[in-house]
Amino acid sequence: MPLSATPGGRLPVAAVPRDIGRAMIGERHTAWWFVAPASAAMVLILGFPAIAAVLGSVNLGWGSAKPFGVASYVRLWSDAEFLRTLLNTAIFVISVVSLHFVLGMGVALLLNLEIRLRWLFRVLAILPWTMPDVIGGIIFRFMFDTLYGGINAVALALGWIDQPIDWLGRPGLALFSVIMAEAWRGYPYVMLILLAGLQAIPREQYEASEMDGAGPWQTFIHVTLPNLKMMLIIALVLDSVWECRLFGMIFGMTGGGPGQSTQNLTLLVYKHYFQFFDTAYASSIAVVLAAILMVAAMPYLRIAIRRAE
Amino acid sequence: MPRARMSWALTYLALLAMAGYNLLPFFWMAASSLKTDIEVTAFPATLLPRTLTFGAYGRIWEQEGFVQFFVNSLKISGSTALLSALLGVFAAYGLSRFDFRGKRALMMAFLASQMLPGVLLIGPYFKMLSLVNLYDTHFGLILAQTTITLPFSVWMLKGYIDTLPVEIDQAAMIDGASRWQCLLYCILPNILPGLVATMIFAFLLAWGDLLWALCLITTPEKQTMTLGITNLVGQFRVLWSDVMAATVIGCMIPALLYLMLQRYLVQGMAGSAVKG
Repeated sequence: MPLSATPGGRLPVAAVPRDIGRAMIGERHTAWWFVAPASAAMVLILGFPAIAAVLGSVNLGWGSAKPFGVASYVRLWSDAEFLRTLLNTAIFVISVVSLHFVLGMGVALLLNLEIRLRWLFRVLAILPWTMPDVIGGIIFRFMFDTLYGGINAVALALGWIDQPIDWLGRPGLALFSVIMAEAWRGYPYVMLILLAGLQAIPREQYEASEMDGAGPWQTFIHVTLPNLKMMLIIALVLDSVWECRLFGMIFGMTGGGPGQSTQNLTLLVYKHYFQFFDTAYASSIAVVLAAILMVAAMPYLRIAIRRAE
Repeated sequence: MPRARMSWALTYLALLAMAGYNLLPFFWMAASSLKTDIEVTAFPATLLPRTLTFGAYGRIWEQEGFVQFFVNSLKISGSTALLSALLGVFAAYGLSRFDFRGKRALMMAFLASQMLPGVLLIGPYFKMLSLVNLYDTHFGLILAQTTITLPFSVWMLKGYIDTLPVEIDQAAMIDGASRWQCLLYCILPNILPGLVATMIFAFLLAWGDLLWALCLITTPEKQTMTLGITNLVGQFRVLWSDVMAATVIGCMIPALLYLMLQRYLVQGMAGSAVKG
């Protein structure tokens, strides 16, 4: 076993100090034995391909016939499909995340009350999120189907519409439908993070606010929200990142169509790789997406590192 | 107190509305899977099946490869979970118990890599795996899934190990245990629930994946569950009752596992940033 054979692995009995910090001195190399396998694996399976993708986007990759250059990045800004997709992604993410926050906050507040059968409502509240996203996409594709779908059937029966609506066949409606579907599937994620935050708020603060004569709305604004600030940031960042790189839901529901109306950046990258086989261009879009995500994730990364230390 | 009773009623009304909203697509899926193939293509659609039949389940079960897809998904997700837990637990112990140069950067790398989009990697993966003859193999797919599951496993497991006092390690080492024995006999038994939760999360992430399977698997028999179901819809004439029966099967395992995992959900989703 290399781990116990390393020099610092076994401390002499007398040398074990009570102080934690000093116990670690002289074990520096032992630490590396522990983190090395995972780190090496990450370099190999993630670091290497990620760098290859960045290099590939400027034609410095394997077997790229074209000369080195940022041509693919220049092309991005005059590519109507890319700009359209960028806009789609923005509309989609902003709408979905906003809906997640409205639904998630509402349900989190409900579940934070003293209610009977709380465990049952908690279980029900999480359910949508347990559905693999591509399966969700397929189910919603069927629900929104013009002829056989349940949504048109109900709307017709209630007399809201006279004619079945072609939800997934018209560009604006299709984007709306995909947003509605993902709003349903993803909101428990935000709800759970906010609920964890709500449960950590000390009771005394609510009591004090009640004694000061604050109404429910004022209490929410002046007690609940300030206490939730950290959780709101975390939920906002993580949910946005997830929704930005969503693939299965849209692939299963519309495949990005009709036309390009529901296509997001992830689907566009996929398309350039596997339909047009344009590696350099596909990787340049993926690099732009990765850069957006990294910038968006910054507040979360900072909070997480600070808390972990 | 009429006012209190009213707010009580409103609360439960809101909770019931939430339950109905959340259950609706599940209900639609289950109801459609139990319809006959004539009824499922009736216009307008019926909400409850007029005649209940399990025919769709029978057809899916007998369909070429469907059982195989299920087994493939179990195998791939299970291996991904094992691999990331194995590598993850060592790294988590190292990060939790030692101070060393570059620790902060390493933790940052593990965290930030979770934010990378999978599509950034698919092109290079295609070439890399072809180079070492792992393209269109389950092992290649497992490696690809591990790019997501390993970094979060490290963070989640570190969170669990952090909750154990360092005195445990010190006591064991005074008794002559090596660091390795310390991890194996003192830490692991204490974080077992957390380890299981981490593995189930990794399993579920791999189970729900479509992108990697779509890009890395071409042989029909090697497909995963999600890919198999997606291909059912791609066919010329979609047999919705069969597709819905397949999705019921595909949803069941994640739903059950997530509900068992309730206690760990927040920690798993947001790493240790949401602790407390």
